[in-house]
Amino acid sequence: MKTLKQCFTAAATAAMLVTGLGQPAVADETCNSPYMSRLIKGQEQFLHVWTLGVKGMGDGSDKLVTVDSDPKSKTYGKVIHSLSVGGRGEAHHVGFSDDRKFIWAGRLDDSKIFIIDVGTDPAKPKVVKTITDFAAKTGYVGPHTYYAMPGRMLIQALSNTKDHSGVSGLAMYSNAGELIETYPMPKDQADIGGGDGYAYDIAINARKNVLLTSSFTGWTNYMMDFSKVLADPAAMKNFGNTMVIWDLKAMKPKKVLDVPGAPLEIRWNLAEGQDWAITSTALTSKLWLVKEDAKGEWQAKDVGNIGDPSKVPFPVDISINADGKGLWVNTFSDGTARFYDMTNPEKPKQVYEKVIGKQLNMVSQSWDGKRVYFTSSIFSLWDKKGADDEQFLKAYDWDGKELTKKFELDFYALKLGRAHHMKFSAKSDVASSDASLLTSRR
Amino acid sequence: MPALPYPAASESLRELGRRLFFERRLSFNNAMSCAICHVPEEGFGTHTSRTAVGLEGHLLPRNAPTLLNIAWRPRLFHDGRESSLADQAWLPLLNPLEMGNPSISHVLEMLGADPEYQKAFQAIFGSKQPTMSQVGEALQAFERSLVAAGSRFDLWKYRGQASALTPVERTGFDLFQGKALCSSCHVVGKDDAVFTDDRYHVTGAFLREASPAAAGSSSDEMATSPVEIELAAFVQAVRSDLGRYEITMDPADRYAFRTASLRNVELTAPYMHDGSLLTLEAVVEYYDRGGDAVPNKSPLIRPLHLTAEERAALVAFLKTLSSPAAAALPTRLRAIP
Ligand code: HEC
Ligand code: HEC
Repeated sequence: MKTLKQCFTAAATAAMLVTGLGQPAVADETCNSPYMSRLIKGQEQFLHVWTLGVKGMGDGSDKLVTVDSDPKSKTYGKVIHSLSVGGRGEAHHVGFSDDRKFIWAGRLDDSKIFIIDVGTDPAKPKVVKTITDFAAKTGYVGPHTYYAMPGRMLIQALSNTKDHSGVSGLAMYSNAGELIETYPMPKDQADIGGGDGYAYDIAINARKNVLLTSSFTGWTNYMMDFSKVLADPAAMKNFGNTMVIWDLKAMKPKKVLDVPGAPLEIRWNLAEGQDWAITSTALTSKLWLVKEDAKGEWQAKDVGNIGDPSKVPFPVDISINADGKGLWVNTFSDGTARFYDMTNPEKPKQVYEKVIGKQLNMVSQSWDGKRVYFTSSIFSLWDKKGADDEQFLKAYDWDGKELTKKFELDFYALKLGRAHHMKFSAKSDVASSDASLLTSRR
Repeated sequence: MPALPYPAASESLRELGRRLFFERRLSFNNAMSCAICHVPEEGFGTHTSRTAVGLEGHLLPRNAPTLLNIAWRPRLFHDGRESSLADQAWLPLLNPLEMGNPSISHVLEMLGADPEYQKAFQAIFGSKQPTMSQVGEALQAFERSLVAAGSRFDLWKYRGQASALTPVERTGFDLFQGKALCSSCHVVGKDDAVFTDDRYHVTGAFLREASPAAAGSSSDEMATSPVEIELAAFVQAVRSDLGRYEITMDPADRYAFRTASLRNVELTAPYMHDGSLLTLEAVVEYYDRGGDAVPNKSPLIRPLHLTAEERAALVAFLKTLSSPAAAALPTRLRAIP
């Protein structure tokens, strides 16, 4: 356990640095752990897209697709590399290691995790290790969120080997890919407010010693045709309705918050005096704010609808600005990106919307918020069917008022598959490596 | 229940079968085991979806039936297409929708390469390398050990314990045997009861799935999500399930399914071959109104004119068929390392 303790000492140091330097909060360059180094504050040169193989299309394999995202480059907007990892296992999310040299890319069906070297040459990512015993070792299924910790990778899974329900937990791995420890999600723990055992995302506020988690659904639902899930009351019962506040240093659940309707991605605003987190609920189409009340108690609060909930817009990925004052919210069913003014987090205000495609899932923005990228796929069995099943990467410039398209890649025409999670990279001379990286959000 | 016509299998063979039953490596992508669809805690079936979800999310057209007391079934599956548990085991193993192994050798070589399995096969069969029939035999031995009888109903009916059932439950049993016609198909014998005639009948209970909205109308239980038109783009075409007819091609068998045993029925929701009825209340209500209009329907499925009390009594009776063993088995089976 000595190693784990060291890890949290480092976490605490990071937190002190944040406070000490009084940096502006949070950044996107989206969705990275505060323990991750080498944030790209300038131009991202490469975009890596974790892509689901489609049977009968090209090699049918899941792959990490690398796209040139540097406008000055001759191959700007083109696929420059494609790394097939073998098989289809429901490729989903990815995360950087703390030194940003490796991408951990996971699959929700067969629970394989690929550790991919993007540090040596970001233009030519390479698999260096495949973890095949995640399910056997942890008892969890569907490694979902990869969250860099000092020298470690914290993974939140969605399901379990026992019944493929949504009851799951967190697993801490060393950067070398060895399992260190597992932490079950709280379930029916009366002393902390219950808990449904469900899991989804991880987001840390080290200064407050808080690890915040959200909750989704198990293998049986995310591997079931979406129209069947919605029409199956036996299945609709099995969605998460909670978020959990954990004591980060102790890695113990401290308080269960009621957030009905499957709260998914979590984004912190870590600026001094802000310290709030925002999430969206997939089934109820709402934004929820997690913040301390006057007594210093963490509370979750419904702060408004996203679109018209009766039409099931299905909010999916969200992305917060570096200054915490704006938030992109994608809705899957209507393929719409919505921008919210978050100046008052208690009253988020939608100020812009644009239809990006027939379906829409992930969004990533550059550190300065001026470039925004979108992809289309949610799960292979939840994506739309037929002509509505568009699969794309679309790149836009954002001037605060309008999205202007820069380039677009049709992942089906290119025989790649379903485009899912994105991460940026750059050759090392471009990436910033100063300590302010520690101020970045999640 | 009647005595079993098989000699008891050895402890070591059953134990090997148990290991195989929980073995995720028995599927092509290491993500499925028998126990993922036949979940011990869910009556060796699945509560969490109407029909089972298989390899890579392939949705099977049918509900995973309970394996409790499977030793007594002369024919297996909702359409009775198989009769041997040992042979049956290879169907899910090789079905691309379920465990998806590309060949028999693929499975045998995986087991034959594992030192633990080598040891077990060596000890039982005298060779480290398993054969197809040995794998089937082991799974069969395990499945036959899933016995769950000794319910309150058994104590009352066959052990003379008059107080084991409440008056309401006894009324329910009278209806089951009488006015409600249930025991014409769910047979109760003089000395024992398996609660099925092991024959095929058309009850008419199935989902008309042209659209999720239409599916919702087949039972009042089903109106759930606020989703209607928005869903059109997500919907996949569905083919109808013709039941026993798909094996015999005899038009008289269209939509006929094997009578389910009702032992431990409280544990095996959702009900019918496609999980279309979610609760026992919904099942009783379905029979009471004489079922839906389908071709070929059994003449025994007709309006029963039960009162609300009678329907409740029938449900109360069905719940007396739960066995204490069914509740104890999961913990016991999982406790073995
Ligand atoms: C993907 C889910 C799934 C998996 C995995 C699975 N089954 Fe099944 N099982 C089903 C379904 C669904 C049926 C009913 C199929 C039908 O009637 O056509 C069934 C039926 C059966 C039956 C017949 C039960 C009866 O009442 O007649 C047996 C026995 C059985 N399975 C055993 C097994 C064994 C042994 C394994 C592992 C080798 C296994 N199953 C793996 C879903 C599954
Ligand atoms: C004509 C024969 C017949 C009669 C009469 C009948 N059943 Fe059934 N029952 C069946 C068949 C066949 C099935 C399986 C249907 C399917 O799989 O779709 C079944 C299924 C069931 C099930 C679902 C079991 C499960 O695990 O899915 C229940 C509960 C049930 N019957 C209760 C009753 C009750 C109560 C009555 C009397 C009101 C009754 N049945 C009358 C033939 C009959």
